Order: sequence, then C-alpha cells, then structure tokens
Amino acid sequence: MSLKSALESGKFTVTAEVGPPKGTDIAKILHEAEELKGKVDALNVTDNQSAVMRISSMSFCKLLLDMGQEPILQMTCRDRNRIGLQSDLLGASILGIKNVLCMTGDHPNAGDHKEAKPVYDIESVQLLNIVRALNDGKDMMGNEMKGGTDYYQGAVVTPEAVPLEPQLMKFEKKVNAGANFFQTQAIYDIEKFKEFMQYARKFPVKILAGLVLLKSSGMANFMNKFVPGITVPQELIDELKEAGKEKALDAGIDIMARHIKQLKDEKICDGVHIMAIGAEDKVPLIMERAGLL
Amino acid sequence: MIITKKRDFKDLLENLKNYKSFFLIGCSECATLCGTGGEPELAAMKEALEAEGKTVTGTLHPKTGCQTLGTKIELKKDKEACNAADAIIVLSCGAGTQSAVEIFPDKPVFPANDSLFLGNMTRFQMFDERCSLCGECVLDKTGGICPVTACPKGLLNGPCGGTDNGKCEVSPDIECAWVRIYERMKKTDQLEDFRKVLEPKDWSASRKPARLNTREKKEEKK
Repeated sequence: MSLKSALESGKFTVTAEVGPPKGTDIAKILHEAEELKGKVDALNVTDNQSAVMRISSMSFCKLLLDMGQEPILQMTCRDRNRIGLQSDLLGASILGIKNVLCMTGDHPNAGDHKEAKPVYDIESVQLLNIVRALNDGKDMMGNEMKGGTDYYQGAVVTPEAVPLEPQLMKFEKKVNAGANFFQTQAIYDIEKFKEFMQYARKFPVKILAGLVLLKSSGMANFMNKFVPGITVPQELIDELKEAGKEKALDAGIDIMARHIKQLKDEKICDGVHIMAIGAEDKVPLIMERAGLL
Repeated sequence: MIITKKRDFKDLLENLKNYKSFFLIGCSECATLCGTGGEPELAAMKEALEAEGKTVTGTLHPKTGCQTLGTKIELKKDKEACNAADAIIVLSCGAGTQSAVEIFPDKPVFPANDSLFLGNMTRFQMFDERCSLCGECVLDKTGGICPVTACPKGLLNGPCGGTDNGKCEVSPDIECAWVRIYERMKKTDQLEDFRKVLEPKDWSASRKPARLNTREKKEEKK
C-alpha cells in the first residue's frame, strides 16, 4: 500500500528512517531495510543528514522500490538550487518515487564539509509550492512540461519549538503550500503533544508523531542540551538511569513502544515516524512491544 | 558601510617583495571608522614598511576612496610622490583599491585590507552585517530585519527547525533572525504580514557585475 493510501485509509501509519552511508558499501543499510520490509508503511531516506556527505537519497529510494518498499524521498534545499531541485524531482518521479518530504536542511556548519557554500536558493515552503506546480504539469516558472509528477508531499514541524508561534505560522504556510502530511520533530511529552494536535487537527493534513529512540540517559541529556526543539522530560531520563547501562536501550525501547501505544489507542495522531538513529534493527521489536506487529 | 579588516602584514610583504618604494592611499569614510585606513593606520603602515627597509614616497587620506574621479583629483598634488613609487598600497576596501587600479594604469596596486561585509557600527569598532545587497529589498515584508543577511540560510518564510530559544543552530552567538522578526512584527502589530508567503527571490537582481547609471535615465527623460 502506498503511504498516501495508508494515511487516507485511516490506518495508524508507521514510517521509519534509514540513512544512506558514506561510501558505496551498502550491506548494512540493505539489511536494515530488508528487516523493516512489510512492517513499516514507508521508509524515509535522509538527504545528507546533518550535512554529512553520503549516498544520495534518490539512489537509495530507487533500491528500496526495487525491493518492493515504499520510500519517502527526503529533499533538502541546502545543496541544490531551484534548477537542481526541480530536475531531481522529475528524475525521482520517473524512477517511481511517489513521496517527497520537503525540508530546508541542516546548515553545512553541522556537517563534515563546513567550508561548503550553502545554497538555500529555495526553502521548505517554496519547495512545497514547487512540488505542487510539478504535480500540475508546470515548472515553478509556469512553463508547461511534457508530463507532470504525482507526488504525495510532506513537511516537518517542531511541536515543541521555543517560541512556538512563529513555528506554527510556518506550519500553516506549509499546509497552504500543499503539504499532505507532516512528520514532527521528536516528541516525548504526550500531554504536550496533545495540545499541538488539538491545534493541528484544524488543518486537512495527516500528522505522524516523530519519535527518537532513547538509548541512554546521557543521550537524553545531550538532546535536551544541544538539539533544538527536543525536550526529554526528567521522569524519562530517570527511567533510563534506573534501568542501568546494560538495560538502558531496552528501557528506551519500552518508552517508545508505550508512547506509540498511547498515541494509537487514544487516536491522538495519524501515525508515528520512528527515528532509531543507528538502531534500525530495533524497530521491529519496538513495533512488537507497541502491539503493532 | 563597508567593513574591512587588515590583512596579515607578512602576506602583504610577500606581495611587495619585488618592489622597494610605495605610495599609500587610505580612505576617510568606512576604512577610517573601521580603523583600517585612517591617518593613524597610514602612519603605522609607513613606519612598518620603513622598518622592513622599504621607502614610502607619500601618503594620501582621500575624502572618499571609492569615488574614482575625486580621488584622482586629490592625487594631483602628490604626482611626484606617486611617480617615484614602484607600487601603490591601498588601505581601504576592494572598491577603493580598484579606484587606484584605474588611476594608475601602469603601476601595481596592492590591497592592505580584506573587505568583509556591508554593515553597521554597533559600538566603537564593533560591526554587524546588515545588508547583502541582494538587489530586491525585503525589509518591507520582514519587519525591517533582513533575513537574507541575518539568517545563515537566508530563509524567507519563518524559522527553521534549528531555532532554539531565539538562538541559531549555526552558532549560539547568532540570534535567530526569524524570532527577531517575529518579536518585532508582534510589537509593531504586523504579524498579518508574517503570514504572507514570500516567493523565491529573484537572484538575477544581484547578478554580477552590477552597474547603475542614474544619469543616463535623467537624460533620457528630456
């Protein structure tokens, strides 16, 4: 089933994420993808995540298609100008890629090519508008094309951004620009997330709650300190600490499974986006514990 | 103003190794405020060059170094000193340096400064970049704060996911431009404008080399 059909059917949809490696040895990521086959509804393929140079998202999306999986092409505006972005969108379309996640992209300063010239000719809201134009058979300049695309386009939002209001105003711009679905930045406080959903429900879009697997209390503290828009509540940090070093990952899996179950049972949102960050092999276990498998 | 920074003196000396005598040109405008091309800097440069065994045939602190014609006229009184110099050293911005290149078609010209950005002096000798000279001003739509310049990504439609309590993901020393814009537009009751989508910029408006001739236009009107 396509991501679009899954979300529109009202099914609690699960997406996960794989990050192509640096270098051409793809044995590990192929294995991870294979493990997730038939379990998740779609798989995001990151686009040079954290501005670290890796295999292109489009190439790995094509391999996923060949494996019979449903890929979501992540597309950032950091490395390509408007010509490059549109050209790649057309290119991905003829490869059979149907889902695109439009993002601005981390600044090169975060990555391993800090001296790179950042492009940002276009940004996320404008990219969504471009995808809509391509779907209508026109390029962003209004030039007629021979054959348009048929993308199901998504975007990202940070429900716990501080300050929140400008973030929500941008969210609305993205909705108006044609975003069909949103994958959120990681959330850990379900009650707080409910407040965001109460607001987001006013808009005709599907929301997948972003969940990052906690592997240790140290990781949680690190995220609180250094990752914008993420807050791990103290009680979860305590839970990881109490589990001890050996069992921290297991506790993290429990936390995520518990959150997924609550989000699903209370029908808080339309699904979840699982970011296991290096522990993709644990995704089936998380889903099992959440009662999804 | 154009913000400049002194180049490393050793690098400058490397440029000058084949020459013995120099005429120095500063600038009374931006470079003086930046402390890179005023009277004290001209004097210091003269002294430093002489300490290296070089000769300084004269110095000029022109009114506006980038006004090519005006600087040329000011240099008339220094004709002999200029003629006696093997090369010219300019202590201003890249534009001032190229005034000298135009004025001295047969002499090498070397820059003593690096030109950094167009900015404001916020306190004495402290400078912030404020304008990217993009050719298509958006300040009317962004509460008077330029996101093309103040946001490292030049975003036009609100903060990215990297904003954190008003700080930028690129560096905690950078205030998030879009949070600043939001706060200001809230105060000035302009948030409705914040909701409007800004279209992709027309970068052809800043295509290089830019040129402007307002005189021609006036003449056309007649």
